[in-house]
Amino acid sequence: MSTSAVEARTDLALLAHLYRRAGFGATREQLDRLAARDYEDTVEFLLNPTPEAGVPDDEIARYMGGEAPHAYTATWLFRMINSECQLQEKMALFWHHVFATGLAKNEHALAASSQIEMFRRNGLSDMRTILLDLSHDPAMIFWLDNNENHNGEPNENYGRELLELFSLGVGNYTEIDIKNAARAFTGWTFTQPTPLYPHGYYPTEFRFDPEDHDNGEKTFLGKTGNLDGGDIIDIIVEQPSCARFISRHLYNFFVADEPQVPTWNDLPPQDPELVDAMSKAFLDSGGEIRAVLRVMFNSDSFKDARFKKVKSPTELVVGVLKMVGNHDNFRPGLAKYAESTTVVMGQKLLDPPTVEGWHTGKEWIDGGNLTERVNFAVGEIGDGSSPGIQRIVDRLLEGDSLSSPESFVDSILNAIGPIEVEEPTRAALVKFATDSEGDDDRSRVVRMLRLTVATPEYQFA
Amino acid sequence: MARPYGLLRAGFPYLKTLGMRRLTNFPVGIALGPEGTGRMFILCRQEGAALVRKYSFDDEDGGTFGEVGDEEGKLQWPVSIIADSEENVYISDEALDRISSFDSDGEFLACFGEPGSGEGQFNRPAGMAFDADENIYIVDSMNHRVQKFAKDGQFILGWGSFGDGDAQFDMPWGITVDELGDVYVADWRNDRIQKFSADGEFVMKFGTSGSADGEFNRPTDVAVDLDGDIYVCDRGNNRVQLFNQEARYVEKFLGAATLSKIGREYMMTNASPNRIRDMAVLEPQKFLRQPRSIAVDAAGHLFITDTGSYRVQVYQKEAIHLEPHQFAPPMRSVTLHQE
Repeated sequence: MSTSAVEARTDLALLAHLYRRAGFGATREQLDRLAARDYEDTVEFLLNPTPEAGVPDDEIARYMGGEAPHAYTATWLFRMINSECQLQEKMALFWHHVFATGLAKNEHALAASSQIEMFRRNGLSDMRTILLDLSHDPAMIFWLDNNENHNGEPNENYGRELLELFSLGVGNYTEIDIKNAARAFTGWTFTQPTPLYPHGYYPTEFRFDPEDHDNGEKTFLGKTGNLDGGDIIDIIVEQPSCARFISRHLYNFFVADEPQVPTWNDLPPQDPELVDAMSKAFLDSGGEIRAVLRVMFNSDSFKDARFKKVKSPTELVVGVLKMVGNHDNFRPGLAKYAESTTVVMGQKLLDPPTVEGWHTGKEWIDGGNLTERVNFAVGEIGDGSSPGIQRIVDRLLEGDSLSSPESFVDSILNAIGPIEVEEPTRAALVKFATDSEGDDDRSRVVRMLRLTVATPEYQFA
Repeated sequence: MARPYGLLRAGFPYLKTLGMRRLTNFPVGIALGPEGTGRMFILCRQEGAALVRKYSFDDEDGGTFGEVGDEEGKLQWPVSIIADSEENVYISDEALDRISSFDSDGEFLACFGEPGSGEGQFNRPAGMAFDADENIYIVDSMNHRVQKFAKDGQFILGWGSFGDGDAQFDMPWGITVDELGDVYVADWRNDRIQKFSADGEFVMKFGTSGSADGEFNRPTDVAVDLDGDIYVCDRGNNRVQLFNQEARYVEKFLGAATLSKIGREYMMTNASPNRIRDMAVLEPQKFLRQPRSIAVDAAGHLFITDTGSYRVQVYQKEAIHLEPHQFAPPMRSVTLHQE
């Protein structure tokens, strides 16, 4: 056991950091329980989700449901809030970012939600499985026109994006590679689902049409033969550029904000050592995503990268809802967060703006949606009757947290994170604590909570 | 009317489909009006929507009532609907922990219940059923019990606790009362049906987890017809199973839907869906998808809310009552003897 692991065993701040990144945050009570484990054991727990640790599917089917996209996203939010398999849900969101597929074109909510279920199922597996499943996915096939990719009349849309946005990145293939990749995926289509009327969405599934497949010789990244889509994916996964591209995506999503993807061919990673180590794990393991994540989460770079990422709207909203505790059991009302709250902040789940997905990092924030983000957090936290807020208040009132303004601030920051703030922020919080001395304690704690989630620091994970 | 000595089961064919998308989205419950009127109330629920569709056996839309909200007279997560002899309907709401009643025009009448685990309180009320005196048995799902009330909400009695023993429950859902007054409960997470006397004395149980005949995957509802036949809505297996009154498995209903009358009328004026439909394999359209509830009437109709397909599938029982001289005494063993 390393020295850092021994320290991590009791380091709530590190656990909180891990859960903000590998999940959607954790309540203080959850952190207290997790602290009994070594950090590495917690990472392994997250890397190896089990059905028993997730939200029971039969309960999801019993209480949640509906035809509209927001009905599905409400269910997904519930899992984000309540599943112990936090990384499983986070990886589904990660792949949704990378393999962005939009309802604006597809219009088939069942196919869209089935794609997310696929990411939940395979998101921690290996890159070959993930890309093969993706290439079989009806929502993706329709989104990038592979159903229009015919023998003798290839449509290059999927072949191009598979290389550019999904696996290798610009500069690591040629136009000829794109054309031949497209030919290799001819005949990869899906079964025609019956229309929405009169009996609702029906599922569709991958269908290979051998009559529509180009069996001619193709050369792709230096390899020649009668290549089909599976062969193309095999070759892709062997490429060091694939290892590096996916590792950098994972770094950007989990560790620290990188510049937007189109610049990656020109701008090196900010942490080349970690990205190299992740890439090596990718190549050594044959593209195992767990192996890459294991290296990443256990690295010092990750552990030190606290509050280096702007929370996505989904991360912000789910983190707040988790803290407030109104949805830690099935109840109505989650849909609105996916249908409108995250949307006004710039993220409509199941419907990313383009195949590039959402631009992340500081691009999440402008004057308008910063107001939305702050107002949302303050509004939710401000309901002192919420069970999660009551737990925080009770925790603070039990001890001597309010014995001094400084102690009050430290306790608040500890209770909702622990989180770290810059000195000017801390000074402002201390001033409020000082000015409010003598007020009703419960009201004072709730007001301090509202002030704390309105700080710039709370926008960062 | 006494139960028949025996039954010649001539058949149980599919009869018709009622409803379609936009009219009966996600039907979760059905309450039948007075015998012979063909009137019914179909309870529909999905995320953000809750309403009652007044409907007819002739597939005619009679309008809706119901509105989403927390206030009295509104619904959030309705589960079950039953109709009394005056066609007032009672609706359980598992989000609001109360039972609301409306007249047949949808005017709110009253409600009772509140969150809790005491007498008359609920933690996610689910299935409901009237007895012959129009007292209401209500499954109090997360309290793992059954409570009996007068129609005005006056508590009468209750039984059950959490567990998998006799008279224990694990998140029970549907319930029915037969013409003899016995009570049947769909013990959802125990994958079984339990039968009780009117006062809650345990009588029998049947079913276990699985997908074979006689096994269940989260049964949601149960109904009993005047012959004593027991129908179980086996939602996780996308089917309804029929048992005789001794709980011997008889047959199952997987769905045989055709387009409803109102569905055909819609499709006749929509060219694109007709073309897409023509390109698709249609067989899956026949089958039940996550059926949620069932109802039977004296005419032998079996109504299944085919929740995932926005419709109700109706079957017609064909059974002839047998007298003792037409039905040999019970046999102890199976036989290959032919007569």
